[in-house]
Amino acid sequence: MAGVDLGGGGKSHGKGAKKHKNKKRISVRIDMTPMVDVIMLLLTFFMLTTVFSTPQTMEINVPPENDTKVEVAETKLLTLRVVPDGDIYYNIGVNTPAKMTFGELQGFLVQTLAAEPGIICLLKVHRDGKYEMMVNIMDEINIAGITRFSLAPFNDADERVVQKAKGA
Amino acid sequence: MHRKKGRVSVHIDMTPMVDVIMLLLTFFMMTTQFRPPEAADLDIPTSNSEFKLPEGDVMTVMVDKDGKIYLKTDDRTRMLLTRAAADDAEKAGFRQLEEGLEMRDQNNLADILIRARVQNPKLRTVVKGDKNTPYGKFQDVMDTLQKVKITRFALVTEMERG
Repeated sequence: MAGVDLGGGGKSHGKGAKKHKNKKRISVRIDMTPMVDVIMLLLTFFMLTTVFSTPQTMEINVPPENDTKVEVAETKLLTLRVVPDGDIYYNIGVNTPAKMTFGELQGFLVQTLAAEPGIICLLKVHRDGKYEMMVNIMDEINIAGITRFSLAPFNDADERVVQKAKGA
Repeated sequence: MHRKKGRVSVHIDMTPMVDVIMLLLTFFMMTTQFRPPEAADLDIPTSNSEFKLPEGDVMTVMVDKDGKIYLKTDDRTRMLLTRAAADDAEKAGFRQLEEGLEMRDQNNLADILIRARVQNPKLRTVVKGDKNTPYGKFQDVMDTLQKVKITRFALVTEMERG
């Protein structure tokens, strides 16, 4: 293993040997193994704990509070209503909503965007829904490339619409 | 006499390896920044967003899974905020924690957001929520932000893996 050799073992040479006649030269050998072990451990620790990445962010712009109404064509409005158990009720315009799971969302969004390029997405999440669901859906919307989307509160009217869709 | 093969003592000099390891170790030790303790223990959602969180001038509004709201600002703004509140501890509307300020309720948040932005107009607002935060609580925060004219903010997420 790694070792440090200081001075020769047997053969003495040079002035030193002449001066100190009686002193015996001892070969100093330091075993570096434990040190290397510890250093390796530390290295692994720091390599594993170092985080080079900073968190990602998603930009949101909300309109200033003055309620500006924007007229949109009915066929271009896709409403996604998210209920607390994670299911998504979607409808275009004023159609009766249909249910889908989060897994189906991506394919659906891509298809819808292909069929109607200027689609506007309105996302309504129930107050008891999870924050994560909103982030996930927003992420899917971004990935699908839908540039116009907005968040709206999930109100009683939405609740009724969803209940009706559940019954149907 | 034994016709045995002469055993060669294999001596590998590890010194260069140790040198390199030492260098690496020093590098990692110097560059490592341990994640500072957060006021709220948050399990943040993942996304595929490509925007990085800016380094400085960030005001973080944290909403934990019970709906409690914490505010983290840069040290200077924080100092100014707490100093202003020191005269009137009752009205301050927040509780000082080691890592940030804990808001007493939504109305206080609006007030403090305005004050923080007065202290440092460059502050960018980011919202950090737990995966399990009820959406309603987040919506309230968003409404508050809108009310105080912070119409541009960002949600903090983690890089999606896999």
